[in-house]
This record gives sequence, structure tokens and C-alpha cells, in this order.
Amino acid sequence: MAEKKIYSKLGEMISKGEFVLTGELEPEKTCDLSHTIQEAKEMAPYVVAANVTDSPLAIVTINSMAASHIIQRETGLECVWQLTVRDCNKIGLAGQIMGAQALGLRNVLSLTGDHTNLGDVPEAKPVFDLDSATLVKLVREMVDTGKINDNEIEHPPTMHVGAAANPNADPMEAEILKIGRKAEAGAEFIQTQVVYDLDMTIEFLRAIQKYKVPVFLGIFPMKSYGIAKGFDMFVPGVDVPKDILAKWKSVKTNVSDKKEQKDTYDQLNYEFFKPFISELKSKNLLNGVHCMAVHYTRIFPKLNKVIKG
Amino acid sequence: MVVITTKKPVDEVLKVLKENDVRSLVVVSCGVCAALCQTGGTEGLKKWTEILEKEGFDILVGIVSEDVCDNRVMMKDLRKIDDSVKDADAILTLSCGLGVQSIVQVLSKKHPNKKVFVTNNTEFMGMTERIGRFRMRCLGCGDCLLNETGGICPVTTCAKALMNGPCGGMVDGKCEVGNYERDCGWVLIYNRLKAIGRLDLFSKLREPRDWSDSGHQREVIFR
Repeated sequence: MAEKKIYSKLGEMISKGEFVLTGELEPEKTCDLSHTIQEAKEMAPYVVAANVTDSPLAIVTINSMAASHIIQRETGLECVWQLTVRDCNKIGLAGQIMGAQALGLRNVLSLTGDHTNLGDVPEAKPVFDLDSATLVKLVREMVDTGKINDNEIEHPPTMHVGAAANPNADPMEAEILKIGRKAEAGAEFIQTQVVYDLDMTIEFLRAIQKYKVPVFLGIFPMKSYGIAKGFDMFVPGVDVPKDILAKWKSVKTNVSDKKEQKDTYDQLNYEFFKPFISELKSKNLLNGVHCMAVHYTRIFPKLNKVIKG
Repeated sequence: MVVITTKKPVDEVLKVLKENDVRSLVVVSCGVCAALCQTGGTEGLKKWTEILEKEGFDILVGIVSEDVCDNRVMMKDLRKIDDSVKDADAILTLSCGLGVQSIVQVLSKKHPNKKVFVTNNTEFMGMTERIGRFRMRCLGCGDCLLNETGGICPVTTCAKALMNGPCGGMVDGKCEVGNYERDCGWVLIYNRLKAIGRLDLFSKLREPRDWSDSGHQREVIFR
């Protein structure tokens, strides 16, 4: 087997088998990235890389390739450029992959993307020429063979490609078999949807171990009771456990001092995620953690303790 | 198989006729699919005749034709009413898009300047569940996958027509499009393949659809 090539810091950590913490940045409907850059700077000391979202929920935002490039240039934080198959056909995607390479991006996460119907431009044509598995395959073809459709690329891209997985999926077996397809396509890492249910997560991670793709578990530390409640209500397929909601609610009700409230929320997140992650680490089911709590960068020092523990 | 049609708003049709300075009309109503969809047939012809006459249009003749979409049938039926076709400002068609285009094509030599309009929107090739309920289950993509997907088509049952589903928009077997009320096509496929003992097919990484033949007018010639 040929030696695995390394193109990024993330790729290097995966290759060395080091436990990884990645963050998430969500550029908005703006051409000015100063808020996102500020958050990137705040999380940079703690994470190896940060995902940069591609118009999540099909709501138009600044292009994720441009945003990833600017974040990397301005902060030095490596990005995981999220790319959905929703908005471009194979020609467009391949062109973007080369463009991303030219802009210095070295990690891409292949995603299907939320349907156009859900977003703020519902009349747009949903493309879905490829899917999340065949986009992985396209990246690997371009990187590993230096070709697209058997045509030589003069200076081919050199980047790592990851894929998403959803441990909350029901039926779970359908999701597991789909992960198998993504692995076959050449996914080099997997970032999961947010999880709160330990038993289900263990079952899922055990089932996908056979594919031998490093897994970063998606977590969502909750900044406040409002965020926790909103997440529980509005994120389909993810339920925040009732006891957690109750604890967060009691902070809102019983702690009036704002600073103390913040500290308490941070501590509660630490107390919940510490044993959760430790259990999965001890079972050798995880290669890292992907924290999706955007606009909650103050949690990273504590998260760092969680994953180091 | 039925080509499913729905009615365009009456005002939209009347507006088109007025914009085109149409005063006299021949009405051709489809007696097959549109009749089943209650957008054509004898009833449709009767209703449209009433509407048009009330609006002051002159109906020279109205016919119900079997297979408006069959050029041969249409040629024969239109030949019988050729004088009216010649005199009419336009032909109004109570059919699917195939019917309209069949009439345009059939008249292209003898009456190349004849205007042809349609009262319906063509929805899809439909599977009939009952009269009044039809489902889109086939897109006519030209590369049928049904032998590998348990007889359930991902092109029409998956909102994203994915070749490798389900996607992250599936929750409890339902699809993110339509507020999680419709089944996820790929879960239907999974359940079906599981039931027939062919989950090996579900595990298969599928190539994207080949669109290379889609850039021109498709036709089938078998003799």
C-alpha cells in the first residue's frame, strides 16, 4: 500500500493518530467577514482546524471557499472547507476544487446540502448532479490520479476529503451502509451530526468501525438555556435530553449574575461532555471531536480540557 | 400510465387568447389522460365551451379526440374539421403538453401559421392510486435503476434524486422537503431491499447519472 500523503495539519494529526479538536465557523449573509475572523482567532489556539459552512439550510451566505481562504489568510487557522453538491454540477464542483487548491485550502468536507426548498431562495434549481459520496470520489480522483474524467490536470489539487455521518439516523442501518459507500469512495475522515445519546452513539460508532475511517464526533455545547431549547425544538432529528434542558433552565431561573450564569453554563457543558467523551475515548471509538457550537468560542479552553483528559 | 394534468387558471388562459387577438376557436379535448384527470374529455369540453361563449368567443367546433398526442389520430380528426381549423383564429387544446405539440406538428404543413394554445399544466407521468390521486413515480430518465433499487425509483422518490442516499435531511424515515411528512425515498428503498434480502444492492456505491444524452431532443426509433 502506498504511503499516505499529507496535505494539511489536520491530515498530519489524523495520520499520527492524535486526538483532534475541530471547530465550526458560520459566515453569514455579508461580504464582511470581520465577525467570523474574530471567532476564528478566538478558537485558533485550541483547534487544529475549523469547518466553514456552505449556505447551511440553503440560506444564502458568502461563498464558503472565499470565506475559508480569507479566514486562513487573516488568522492562520486551517479551514475545513464545506462543499455541498446542491448548487453546482460536476463541472462546477471540479472547478471549485481546483480554485480552492489555488487559494490554499487543503481540507474539504463533502456534503449533500439542505434542499433549496428549505432556504431563502426556494425557487432556485436544486442541482444534486453528484451526491456526498460521489463528490468524495471526485476529490480523490483529482487528488490521487491528477485527472478528471481521464483528462490530465496540469497542477492537480492536493487536499484531504471528509464526509458527514448521522448517528441519530433512524433507520440506523441505512446510514451505516451509506457510510460504507462514502468510505469506499475514499473519505479520509468523518465528522458526525451532533449527538447527546451515549448508548446510541456507541452502537453507531461500533458499527462503522469496520470502515476504518477516523471519526470526529459532533458535539454542541449549549451557551444558554435559550440556545439549548431552540436546538432541541428546531434541529430535526436531534433531541436534547430532558434532564439537560432542566439543568440549563435552572441556571437561567436561579442565577441572576450574568458572569456567574456564563461560568455555570460553561461548567455544566464541561460536566456533561467530559464523561461522554472519556467513555468513547476509552472504548477507542473516537479520533476527535468536532464542536459545532458557533458563537460560543469561550467554551474552547474547557473543551480542550475535555478532550485532553 | 397517464400523463397527469391540472387546470391552468381560467383567467390565465383567457388573457393569452385576448393577447393573441383570438376571437374564433376550435376546441380539441383529450378523451384519454386529460379526461381521467378531469381537465379534458367531454366534461372539460362542455365547461370550456360555456366559459368561452360567455366571454364572447366564437366556437366554430369542439371535438373530443382519443390520443391527441398520437400524430396519426390527430391528423385524421383534424382533417374532418379542416374548414373550421382553417377559419379559426386559434385552436384551444384541453390536453397535456404532448397534445398541444402534436397538433402544432400535424398542422405544420397545411396550416403553419395556426396558433395553438393549452388550458392545462402538465405535471408528470403518473401512477394512478385512485381517481383524483396520482403519484409521480417515473421521470423517464432513460436509464432505469429499478432492478437494483427494489422497484422503487430514487430519481422520483428522493427529493434530491440522489444516487447515494439517504442524506442528512432524513429524520425518522421522513424527508426534510415537505416538513417531514413524506417518506424518504432511500429509506423506502432500504426497507424494500431488506425485505427481499438484497441489502448488498443498498451497499453499492452508485455512479452519478449520465446526462450526456440529455442535451438534445430525445427520440426512440425502433424500426
